[in-house]
Parts: sequence; C-alpha cells; structure tokens
Amino acid sequence: MIRADGASALAAPGGRHPGRTGRHADGLIFTGEMYGVQLDQLTTVLDVSQRSVGAIVAKWRTAGLAEAARLGPGPRWVWLTRAGLADCGLQYSPGVPGLARLAHLRAVTGIRLALAGTPQYAAAGAYWRSERRLRAKIGGRLGLREHVPDGEVHWPDSAPVPWAGECWAIEAELTPKTVARTVMIMQELLARTGDYGCPAAQARVLGRPPRHARVIYLCSRAALPTVARARAALGSAGARIEIRGLPDGAELPSAGTTPP
Amino acid sequence: MIGRWLSLLAAQAIIRIVAGAVTLAAALAVTVAAAPVSLVAAAALAIAWLRGWEPRRLFTAAAWCAPMVAVWLVGTARTAPTWQHVAAAPYRAWTGFWHLAATGAVPHAAATIAPVAVPLGLVAGGLAWSYRIRSLAAGAGGLSPAAAVAFDQRQWQRQARAARARIAAPGSVPLTMRNDLIGAGAVIRSVRHRGGLVAAIGYQRLRSHQVVIGTTGTGKTTLLLRLWAGFMATGLRRHAAGLGAPPLLVVLDCKGGSDARRLADRVRRVLRQAGARSTAIWPDEASLSLWSLPPRQLTSTLVDLIEHGTGSAAYYADVMEALVGLAVEAPCGPPVSAADLLARLEPGWLSMAYAAAGTAADHAMIRSASRQLADVALRFRTLFRRLGSGLDGPGGFGDADAWYCILEGTDQIAVAEGQARALVDLLASFAVRGPARREILLAVDEFSAVSRRLPIWQLYERARSLGLAVQVSAQSWQGLGTSPDERLRIAASAEGGIWLLRTPEPEPVTALAGTIRVVQTSRYLRRFPIWSHRGSSRVEEVPVADPNLIRILDVGQTAYIYRGGVTYLQVKRLVAAPAAVGGVPASPAEPPAGLRAAAAPAEVSPRVDAAPPAGVSPRVDAASPAGVSPRVDAGAGRSGADPTAVPLPDISLLLDAAFGPEHSP
Repeated sequence: MIRADGASALAAPGGRHPGRTGRHADGLIFTGEMYGVQLDQLTTVLDVSQRSVGAIVAKWRTAGLAEAARLGPGPRWVWLTRAGLADCGLQYSPGVPGLARLAHLRAVTGIRLALAGTPQYAAAGAYWRSERRLRAKIGGRLGLREHVPDGEVHWPDSAPVPWAGECWAIEAELTPKTVARTVMIMQELLARTGDYGCPAAQARVLGRPPRHARVIYLCSRAALPTVARARAALGSAGARIEIRGLPDGAELPSAGTTPP
Repeated sequence: MIGRWLSLLAAQAIIRIVAGAVTLAAALAVTVAAAPVSLVAAAALAIAWLRGWEPRRLFTAAAWCAPMVAVWLVGTARTAPTWQHVAAAPYRAWTGFWHLAATGAVPHAAATIAPVAVPLGLVAGGLAWSYRIRSLAAGAGGLSPAAAVAFDQRQWQRQARAARARIAAPGSVPLTMRNDLIGAGAVIRSVRHRGGLVAAIGYQRLRSHQVVIGTTGTGKTTLLLRLWAGFMATGLRRHAAGLGAPPLLVVLDCKGGSDARRLADRVRRVLRQAGARSTAIWPDEASLSLWSLPPRQLTSTLVDLIEHGTGSAAYYADVMEALVGLAVEAPCGPPVSAADLLARLEPGWLSMAYAAAGTAADHAMIRSASRQLADVALRFRTLFRRLGSGLDGPGGFGDADAWYCILEGTDQIAVAEGQARALVDLLASFAVRGPARREILLAVDEFSAVSRRLPIWQLYERARSLGLAVQVSAQSWQGLGTSPDERLRIAASAEGGIWLLRTPEPEPVTALAGTIRVVQTSRYLRRFPIWSHRGSSRVEEVPVADPNLIRILDVGQTAYIYRGGVTYLQVKRLVAAPAAVGGVPASPAEPPAGLRAAAAPAEVSPRVDAAPPAGVSPRVDAASPAGVSPRVDAGAGRSGADPTAVPLPDISLLLDAAFGPEHSP
C-alpha cells in the first residue's frame, strides 16, 4: 500500500514528520485516523512483513507515540497516544479502541484497504476521510443527531475516472438494523448537502447538489437482506446506493486465530 | 477719626496682599523644590482633564507604582548600613536629583527620583483633580456658575472621545470575560456604579429580564447583537464547563420586511462566531410545530389566536372553546396539523370519534354545538391561511442554538400578533416540557408591533421559574405597552437592567433609576460678569440618570440603568464574518437539519452544464430561487428524490475489484 517512492495512497496528505521516514509517518497517521488498527492490517498499510511490523510498533511504543495490546480476538491492536496524535498533527481525543467497536473498526479498515488497493483509487489520488476526522469536525458541543458515515471517499475533479469530483459515503454494516432505521440513514446520507461540522441550517438545503453522490454499503451476510430491502424502499433514489459484501479479512478473526 | 479708619483699611489691604504674595511665593517655592513631583502631578492632571478620567484612575495608577517603590526600597536597604538610611532614602533621592540635575545629567536625575516622584505626583494630581471636579460639581468652582455646566459638557465630550478611542483598539473589549462577564463596550461615565475601562455585565443579568429602549438609528441593533452574542458565547462556555444547561436564544423580530432578513443573516453570522452551530430563521427557512403543544395548552392557544368580541360575542367564544376542545382532546389523540384540525371540525368526525369513548356530556355538546361547527371551522381556516405554514411543523425550539423569528408586524399586524402569541406559548411549553433543559433568552424586538395581544408581563412573572429570560426592546417608552400600567410593569420587572439609548422622552425610565443627593451652591453676583465665591449651599435630589444627557446620546452610546445607578457606555460593534459569496441567498432556503423537510424554493431549477468534459461527471448547481418560496409537500422535498436527474457513471468495475460482485440477498 505504500508506494515505492514512499508516498502513500492511504494516508492523509500533509502529515509527514520531518524526522521520521515517510512510510512510518503514514502508518502513524493511518492508525490515528482509524482509531486503531490490528497488526495484520498495519502490515498491509506499511507493506512490510509481519516480523517487521512488530519491530516498528515497538519503536512507536518506545517513543511514546503508540500503544499496543490484545483487545480482542486476533492480532494485537495499535492505537496512538496523545503524544502520537499530536506528533501527527491530529487533533483527536486519544483513547483505547472500544471493545464494542473492534469488529466495526476492523471492517472499516478492511474496506479502506480494499478500496485503496484498486488501481483506480491510486491513479485518481482519491482521499479517504475517516469517521474520526468527520466527528472531530462536528465537535462534541452538541448532542449528535446526525448520522455520520464510516468514511468518505473524495475523488478529485481532475481524476482520470468517470466519477471524478464525486464524494462517496461509506457504510460498513455488520449487524442488521431495522429496515426503517436503515432507510432513514440512507435518506439522510443522500439528502445531505453540507459538510460535517457546518451549521445545521446548511446541512440539508434543498436545491443544492447533494454532498454524497453515492452511498456504498459493505455488508456482512447477516445485514445484507435488511440493507437491500431498505434500498428497495427508497425507490428511484436507491439507484445512488451500492451494496457489496465485506472484503476478505475485514471481519474480526475468530478467537482461535494465532496472533503474530 | 476718618483718617485713622482709612489707614486701618489700607493696612488691612496691604496685609492681605502681602500675605497672599507670601503664600504664593511659598507655594511656588514648594512647587519648585518638589519639581519632580510637581511635574508628574501637572502631567497627570493634564491627562486626566484631556481624557475625562475620574480621579480614582490616578489613585489607582499611584497604587500600581507600589511594586516599583518596594523594589527601590529593597535595593536601597541592601546597600544601606542602618534602617535610618532607608528611611532617609526619599530625602537622599531628592538631594541626589538636584545634584545630578545641576551637573546636567537630567536622565540620571529623573531615574533617581522616579520611585518617589511618580507615585507622589499621581496622588497629588489625583487630589487636585478631585478638588476641581468636586468644587465645580458643587457649583463653587470656576469664575461663574455657568463654568460648572461648561465643564461638565466638555468632560462628557472628552470621556466619550476616550471611550470611542478605547473600543477602536482591537481586542480592547472582549465579548466574554472572566467570571462570566459579557463585555458590552467602553465606559464613558458612571454614577453609583463601579467605574472602569470596560463596561461588562454578568451573564446572570442576561438571564433576567431586560428592557432596551432606543429610536431608530441610535445603535440599538448593535447593542442587541452584542448582548445576544455575549449570551450565546458565555452560555456555551458555561455549558462546556458543566456549569449550566446549553443556551437557547429566541429572537422575535416583530418588524419584518427585507430589513429583518438582512438582520437575520447578520445575526446568524455573529452567533456563528460566538459559537452557535445553528441559527434557524423562521418562517423562511425553518418551521415549528404548534401541534406539539399538550392538548389542553393547544386548545387554549388556538382559541387565543382568534380575536373575540365582548358582550354577546363571549357566548360564541365559549362555544368555540368547547368545540376546539372536543376536536383537540379527542380519544384518538390531538391533531397533527392544521388540515387535521380542520377535518375534525365537522359533526360527522366528532360523532364518530366520540362514539365509543365519549361521555354523555360530550355527545350532548356535539349535538348542541354542531350548528356552529362550520363557522368555527371557517374562522380557523382563515386563521391558518393568515398564519402561514410556519407553525405547521415539523420542528421544535430544541433543534437549533438560536431562532430568529420574523414576524411581519409592519404590514400585517394582526398576523404578527397571532404568530407572536403562538411562538411564545410554544417556547413556554418547551421551557416546561422540553426534552432537555436550556437556558433560554427570549428577545422581542420592536415589541410595540405585537404588544396589543402579547401580554409579555404575564410571561415575565412566570418566566424566571421556567429558566426563561425575556428581553423586550422598543423604540420609545410608549412602545412598551398599551397602557401606562403595563409599561411600568414591564420596566419595573427588568431585574437585569434597562438599556436606554437616545430617545426623546426618557423621563419615565430615568425616574426608575432614582435620585442622588448633590450639593448645590448659590453664588453672590457682585457685578456682571463677576461672581463672588461667597454664597450658600444646600443638598438637593437630582436624577441619577440625567434625562438631558440621554437626549443627546450619540450613535452607539447607551445608558445602562441598574439598581439605582447608571453607566453610560459606548457599545463595541461586533463585526460578523462576511456573508458567503455565491451561495443561495439567506432568505429562501436553509432549513436546519431535522427541522423540516417541507420548505423548498418553488422556482429552483437544476442547471446542468451543457457540455461536460469527456470523462468527467456532469456537475449540477442550484440556481438561485427567483422568488419567495412557498411551501410544498413534505414528500416532494424528501431526500429520496433524485436531485441531479443525471445518470451516474457506472462504478461496478471498481467495486467488483475491491469488494467482489454484488450479492443477491
């Protein structure tokens, strides 16, 4: 995932640390953006062997930039400390990935990695805007009434793809909600016109182009029927919703998996 | 005998002249001897006179010299062999000053004497300035009694000029300050209030009722914007610190028209900078639901919205209330829209609704009042048509940090009155039964437009317990209410203070500030234009807030009357962020998320670029709506509708590559 020139198709631009290799800096930023990453996924991000990734994480821990621990089934999780987030210029609240969200976090990371692995993504220079970044933009002053997608993919206007200029909302659906709730979320995502963190009055302005040209649902087998029914309930607007299964390796490994 | 008497007179005159000359010479000698102190005192006096300072400011400056004096004394004590040397340090500094000055080392001499001369000079200057002010205020100073008047006018001009200069400095008047203070402007002058440079009021004053009076063009809007932004910023900060509930600002602009729209846009930008994330503009961009009121309250509000006559017309009012009560409190639940209520106001519906669960009294009432149902329905149909759909939901006050409600009080007074009544009822209900507690400030601007049917003083009396503060603003004293009693009730209940801008008749308000005792001196006129300094003095009561001063207030100047004192201040104007360029105009369409899905510009037409470049998806821009937006059905504006009407490029190749083919459920 890290290209030969050291530039990453995964990490946010402008997050390099002058005193650290670009690859490691991108890995740190990726980890910070995604709340936390499991070591096997970090291996893909850094494009190194499993053995090397352990050494890299150990260096991060020694420098006080990251913490690692076994939080659930599968490999260890890595997340950034306050110092690590500050080092990357990410103004997020530090914290250990919540146990209840581990499966979801892994799924979203898997989706991002799968999408970033496509040639179109790299050629277009597409940009992943993580849920953590979106929530940081919204801030915590008011209770959240709006649904925040699990990520956004921005395709630059100049990208050599037919969908250049579009912004996609990404939704990872592991457990089925009710159809009504899913329809509401779909409607909200499709109708949104303003950026996250904008005044509520600008969030949905009729007549303005929608923020999300499409909504991409990546579903587990259990959630697939509900999402499909919700899309059908939307009628013609459902054409802007794509449904796919979760990519391989995006689901949390079973408890018996041998950790690296 | 006569010669002796004349000699005595001449001797007395000579003695007086000599004594005066000796005193003058002695004073001159002391002044010269204490030249450093005299220079500082003269400079302090001149600056205080030029800037219109209070003497207290010079004494404060002298007190701030204490650290310098302490350091100087400590430095002296470290080199002095005995404490007597330390005690004599000022004298030594004085002699040292003259020795150094004689040798031409003036800067060195000034530095030597500064620790002594600066504080003493400031105190001396302060005493002299205080004497001057007090003597003129008592009418005893100056060459003529008119000197006091001229002095006061000049001082006012200098104080106002200094205040204007103070607010011109960036950051000189912060919006929010420590201890939950809200900076309003620079102090010009204060009477019975603590003086200072910055005029600031506590957040709790804005949580109490306030009154603002000022004619058009006096800076009332600037003041209100400052107060609203201060309330919002301080409230949000307190909430973030866990000290209170989140603030909610509700502004009723009872004037309406295009000016109100422009002001609404400015309010939104100012509040945005103050931290408010969402400002809903009603009814242009957001709606509220009257139907969220509890059934009994809804019945009462609906009946109150319709004007009734007196005498025999009261009978019809009772019939109407009974029928509306039946329709609203039906067993199937309250109505959810105006159309729903109108559908219920027919005999068939009421009979069917109460067929199973109604009491005998209900059935009897339906039978007896059925002849009036058509008339009642007609009146409500007319009412709803006049009120518009702004109260037909969805939405509630809890959906935004601030609400700017525009009531067309200039050209549709009756409509504005009804809307104001309904909005206040909705807000009171929200304050009592809202899902989360909020610290609410209800600001009613141009209150006179709706004062006839909005008994704001009733809300005053119960508002504090609801956590709701009311701020009423009007152009004149008469605009506060229809009767003198009502005006007095409103003004007298303004526990948070009264803001008085330039107005031609300030006396009723200034009287509320009370009076202050001052010494007035009458002086004996020897022969024009020479007045003697002899006369008699007496204590008189004069108004704390001078009505004549209120009449000549300049733009942006205001008097804040609170607890028997008054502070005159120059309000610091808030500069809002510039309006968005190229966006949709503020008036027609910016509904807060979740408030409603019903407002859509009628003439919005998507504009598609004629020839998009190859390989690039066509972009769609929203054309600016041409006119005011009538409402459309909720379904039409739903998110599900395809807003672009342009087929999207196929992305299945990409998705198939990343995630595999689409599965069928």
